[in-house]
Amino acid sequence: MIKMTKTKVLSLSMMVSLAISGMANANVTNKDILNDQMTTEDVVSYGLGLKGQRYSPLKKINTDTVKDMRTAWVFSLGGEKQRGQESQPLVKDGVMYISGSYSRVFAIDARTGDELWQYDARLPDGIMPCCDVINRGVALYGDLVIFGTLDAKLVALHKDTGKVVWKKKVEDYKAGYSITAAPMVVKGKVITGVAGGEFGVVGKVRAYDAKNGDIIWERPTVEGHMGYIWKNGKKTENGISGGKAGQTWPGDSWKHGGAAPWNGGTYDADVDLLFFGTSNPAPWNSHLRLGDNYFSASRVAIDPDTGKIAWHFQTTPNDGWDYDGISELISFDYKQNGKTVKAAATADKNGFFYVLNRKNGDFIRGFPFVDKITWASGLDKKTGSPIYIDENRPGDPADSKDGKKGTAVLAAPSFLGGKNWMPMAYNKDTELFYVPANEMEMDIWNEPGSYKKGAAYMAAGFTLKPIHDDYVGVLKAMDPKTGKEIWRYKNSAPLWGGVLTTAGNLVFFGTPEGYLLGLNAKSGEVEFKFNTGSGVIGSPVTWEMDGEQYVSVLSGWGGAVPLWGGIVGKNIKHLNQGGSVFTFKLPK
Amino acid sequence: MKKINIPLFSILIGCCLIFSATAFSRSYDDIIESNEIIVAVYNDFQPFSYKESDKAKGIDIELAKAIAKQLGVKLRLRWVTADENVEDDLRNNLWKGHYIKRTVADLMLRVPYNREYSLSRDDIGELVHQHVHMFSPYHTESWKIIYNNKKIESVETIAVFQYYDIGVEVDSIPQFYLSSAFRGRMSKHTKQFMSISKAIEAMTVSKVDAVMGLSSQVSYFQSTIPTNNYILAENAFPMMGQQQWDIGMAIKADYRQLGYVIADIVEAMVVQGDMERIFAKYHVLYKKPDFYQEI
Repeated sequence: MIKMTKTKVLSLSMMVSLAISGMANANVTNKDILNDQMTTEDVVSYGLGLKGQRYSPLKKINTDTVKDMRTAWVFSLGGEKQRGQESQPLVKDGVMYISGSYSRVFAIDARTGDELWQYDARLPDGIMPCCDVINRGVALYGDLVIFGTLDAKLVALHKDTGKVVWKKKVEDYKAGYSITAAPMVVKGKVITGVAGGEFGVVGKVRAYDAKNGDIIWERPTVEGHMGYIWKNGKKTENGISGGKAGQTWPGDSWKHGGAAPWNGGTYDADVDLLFFGTSNPAPWNSHLRLGDNYFSASRVAIDPDTGKIAWHFQTTPNDGWDYDGISELISFDYKQNGKTVKAAATADKNGFFYVLNRKNGDFIRGFPFVDKITWASGLDKKTGSPIYIDENRPGDPADSKDGKKGTAVLAAPSFLGGKNWMPMAYNKDTELFYVPANEMEMDIWNEPGSYKKGAAYMAAGFTLKPIHDDYVGVLKAMDPKTGKEIWRYKNSAPLWGGVLTTAGNLVFFGTPEGYLLGLNAKSGEVEFKFNTGSGVIGSPVTWEMDGEQYVSVLSGWGGAVPLWGGIVGKNIKHLNQGGSVFTFKLPK
Repeated sequence: MKKINIPLFSILIGCCLIFSATAFSRSYDDIIESNEIIVAVYNDFQPFSYKESDKAKGIDIELAKAIAKQLGVKLRLRWVTADENVEDDLRNNLWKGHYIKRTVADLMLRVPYNREYSLSRDDIGELVHQHVHMFSPYHTESWKIIYNNKKIESVETIAVFQYYDIGVEVDSIPQFYLSSAFRGRMSKHTKQFMSISKAIEAMTVSKVDAVMGLSSQVSYFQSTIPTNNYILAENAFPMMGQQQWDIGMAIKADYRQLGYVIADIVEAMVVQGDMERIFAKYHVLYKKPDFYQEI
């Protein structure tokens, strides 16, 4: 039916795309996914391309025209589940696919906003996902819409009906696992990590056959654990991560090392590697696991065919601050002395921005992207390792055995990170990264008088505090070649949504106050502002349909920030929950 | 049309009643009227609350049954997956509900009874536990080591664990203590397990020589091992902060009347020895809280 109406209104660009793809309503192929960034009529991957640059070559909406941008339609996710919409929409053949909070998926007519189907995962009682009920998006492959659930399953739905085609248990939710990140499809494989780093689990990246959900390989992200590959359905040993146990972990602490790759990954075809970020090591007390604790708080490059680790880069060795290394690693090329450098960049929770050689993980340069860093005085120029300030590491609970509260240490950034899960964007025209950052610090101390499951427990107590009086969130335009901040946009509440940038010299992102903002990519000036009525923590996308450029974003306050609060709580207490997709275009 | 509407309407009312019974903690009067009390207990936590071929068993289950019986109402159990700390568990299960479902229980067991803890304040000066009332300590918990006497002659002091492997639960005080006390001299021999039952299992197949955990758990598991070469140690834990603490229960702060009624039931059980008999049934060492010491 959709096909029928569309053939009547074929535009020139549609004709061209038809000629290329052969037919409308085609299934999503590996090639479609690889070329996603340059094919403007669809968005078939998280990150608008597997590199995750979140850049679109579209420019009908630009700094001159964006002020006229109007809502084309609004879609409500409905029900009582009005919170935590962190998803990025995908668009294919005039249909938008989104995931909603509480493990829901919707297919929407991208022209009218009409719902085509909805899928609600039945969540079991007693699931304990760490940080709200969110989901960050779906993957498309063939005629399937694939996503991960809060009870740690992968579900593949038929794109036309929303009916389950296959479903696989990735991990046991009872052990504390969940999936919140968007899966990705590389070479016909669905690749996913898991969340649950706080429960002493072991992080793993897994690849499944996208067609039927059969497992292909499994790679633990903690040193010492065996990886596996399935050959003709047979589980075969595939090498221990890091070679052997006990090199960077004392005793048997590697057995429950954390390092969960909970924020998904990126991929670059030039070097044919997957890049996954890993969470902080477990348990929280760093004095119990002296050593670097591989591969926690790291970026790990994995071969998509074999599931073997090609290289790793650790941002926070022996982490003691909850600085997960889960920020996405974005591949990009730049010219220096006439040579093209195949680089990749990431803005870590720990406050430093890293530029790496994406072929081998070598450190090229690094610099702070937040105003205040207390835990390290800088990075080693050769290796990129942090130069620790020892007295600013949270204290050893062994020193407070008298049962008294330990001495508080001030640490910046806070455990919510200089940047958290929310993806930044890279614009190849301005050659700048647009980083959604938060300027917060925390007091952190040992709290012996606490309890866990009725047993005395040594917890860490902490207070979140804003660093500046007038704002917490800040979007920064950073030059990856010099480390210079080109401009900043300040926001009262913490930023918690992804960024999009376009050839129209624009940067789009949302705020918890409810605004979708369009900034001038070169100057940071506000060119567009629209209040969606609830906090925006999703990631915007843009695409072209019937010759018109569209911009879409989910609105719906939630996520990890309102679960914490502290003094920062006053900036967000008044924010209302919601659950809607807002879609914009220029008037005809 | 009208004929269809009437049963539909009554179904709707039915739904709402069930919903209201679980979406909020309830007062004593409401519990009596509904003929049911909802009690929160931890999942899979031997010997306190666990399932054996789908039958609820354990010390806390028996206590919950006794309370329901004395109140003259039916017992409904709410099985709780533990969050990172008790504060989270109280929020998820007693006053606010977890954000997935937002349902709560009327009473939660195995909540620490400690005045300093119940009056603790958060970073902006608010009472952390203002929404709950903690009361009725029913036993005193502590740490205990169990060891294989075919491997270790005796455990006079914890110094022997510079030479012998000891199992602990991951992210627990015994793990903190054995990995860091005395400048980490025992850390090499400290082996982590996801639970105490897993550690005990490892001890019975000689993967570790001893286990340190909650006194109740360790004494219970001792009774489940068929051979008698696993001994409870009497050693001290020097340099350790909190060595013993009382375990009680909690209700939502608004329903003190419920608390008074339950406190009377529990006090009678402690004083008349019923509580100790429940513990003895599970071969668990029982220590009466100081709260009930006769003056």
